[in-house]
Amino acid sequence: MYDFIKDPSLYSFVRGPLVWIAFLVFIGGSIYQLRNMILLAKKEKVVYPYMSLKLTLRSLFHWLVPFASVNWRRHPVITIMTFILHIGIVLLPVFLLSHNILWRESWGITWWTIPEGLGDLMTILVIAACIFFFLRRMFASEVKFVTFSSDYLLLVITFLPFITGFLAYHQLLLPHETMVILHMIFGSLMLIAVPFTRIIHMFYFFLTRAYMGSDQGFRHSRDW
Amino acid sequence: MAEAIVEEKVKATDVFDLKRKPVADPGFDVTVKKLTPEKIEKVVNAVLNMRGTAARFKAPLDTCIHCALCAEACHWYMSHGKDPSYAPVAKVRMTLWEMIKRKGKVSPEFMKQAARIVFAECNLCRRCSMYCPYGLDIAYQLGMVRRMCFLLGLVPQNILDQDNSHSATLNQLWISQADWIDTMQWQEEEVRAEIKNARIPIDKEGAEVMWCPLGTEPKIATYHIARTAQIMNVAGIDWTVSSMDGWDCADMAMFIRDMETMQRIVRGIYENAMRLKIKRIVLTE
Repeated sequence: MYDFIKDPSLYSFVRGPLVWIAFLVFIGGSIYQLRNMILLAKKEKVVYPYMSLKLTLRSLFHWLVPFASVNWRRHPVITIMTFILHIGIVLLPVFLLSHNILWRESWGITWWTIPEGLGDLMTILVIAACIFFFLRRMFASEVKFVTFSSDYLLLVITFLPFITGFLAYHQLLLPHETMVILHMIFGSLMLIAVPFTRIIHMFYFFLTRAYMGSDQGFRHSRDW
Repeated sequence: MAEAIVEEKVKATDVFDLKRKPVADPGFDVTVKKLTPEKIEKVVNAVLNMRGTAARFKAPLDTCIHCALCAEACHWYMSHGKDPSYAPVAKVRMTLWEMIKRKGKVSPEFMKQAARIVFAECNLCRRCSMYCPYGLDIAYQLGMVRRMCFLLGLVPQNILDQDNSHSATLNQLWISQADWIDTMQWQEEEVRAEIKNARIPIDKEGAEVMWCPLGTEPKIATYHIARTAQIMNVAGIDWTVSSMDGWDCADMAMFIRDMETMQRIVRGIYENAMRLKIKRIVLTE
């Protein structure tokens, strides 16, 4: 923020105020949406009385482990791609070496770092997974039938920070600084998109699984 | 029948082009002629507005990422050569998402197609929820479309008639109280051919168990009553049946999401249980 006031350039803007805005919208908006959904569920007569912590954790564990559920086993390729994509999206922004340097420069915090080669590989895999899901949307008949343009848009929003990050790291295509600026803009765009789009599933997942896990577990049905 | 086939070929602009055999049902074919776009818009929006009060309705719509992993859970999808229009998410897409997109401004033909999708191509079995990575309650959403159809009267005639019966008599098949008591006494005689002095106690206060049959039992499968009575007598259970309305545990209102009648049916059973001070309700299934 101080850098931006001292030297108001595009770089110091995306490095300062934009990141602050993105994080505030992401965290504030997500908390607001979660709070609304939890309060809404309280009004329902049949949601809270059946909620059980044990069944919720059982259900979450069952679906967060690759190939644990029947449907994961039925679609091995989709399962691998799904887990690659989501592990990359969650871990890379927080633990990548160049991001860690920024964390330390800004707030002096240091934590575990993904080795550079592994980080690069994970990025490539995330990009590949995005392309895979893009192609699946275009060619798998059952997915094509339920695809709106917003679905492609969400995939592109996910794809852009990773491809620009990859290109910036390898200093390809555009001058380094331009690519880094683009990377920061797209990264912020993705964070801002979370509370307002169906990317909110990163938080709602835990709520909907809690509901279905408890609802079925209450009837002595295990998670499939 | 010929009329229905001709009508099936008429295409409104907002109807999905699906390959389906026409099915003649006055509940759809006659009712759809009485619908106006204004009426549909009012009903559809009234139900859609429940998103603001029902988390179970809102959460799946906000969460679903359109991955179609629920498809293979559906026996309709699997038994129609994996036709994508039978996938659970496709049924939501052709009904709810479309209504939301158009803010309820849909044609009567669209509603007729939606009614066919939710009544005749989905059993609300909830198997898709077990295949959905998020565990979204897809059946609940399609149930809300059934609710819209019910409010518009777009219901298969057979079920609508049974729902009317529930609403008037609290049982499924227009059985009067006199018929019901008479059937019990007649079946008591039948049981006595097997077990000496067997009883079907009617309105016995303070009994352990109140048995609630399905409406079909006194109407067309009376021997079920005799069999149940035999079991109860041999097992030595202190049981009874209610003479008053609210003895039928069938609930066709639930299937068409006629929540008002649905509530009265359940309340009727519980009120009888309170009146007779019984400890347990036993239902036929």
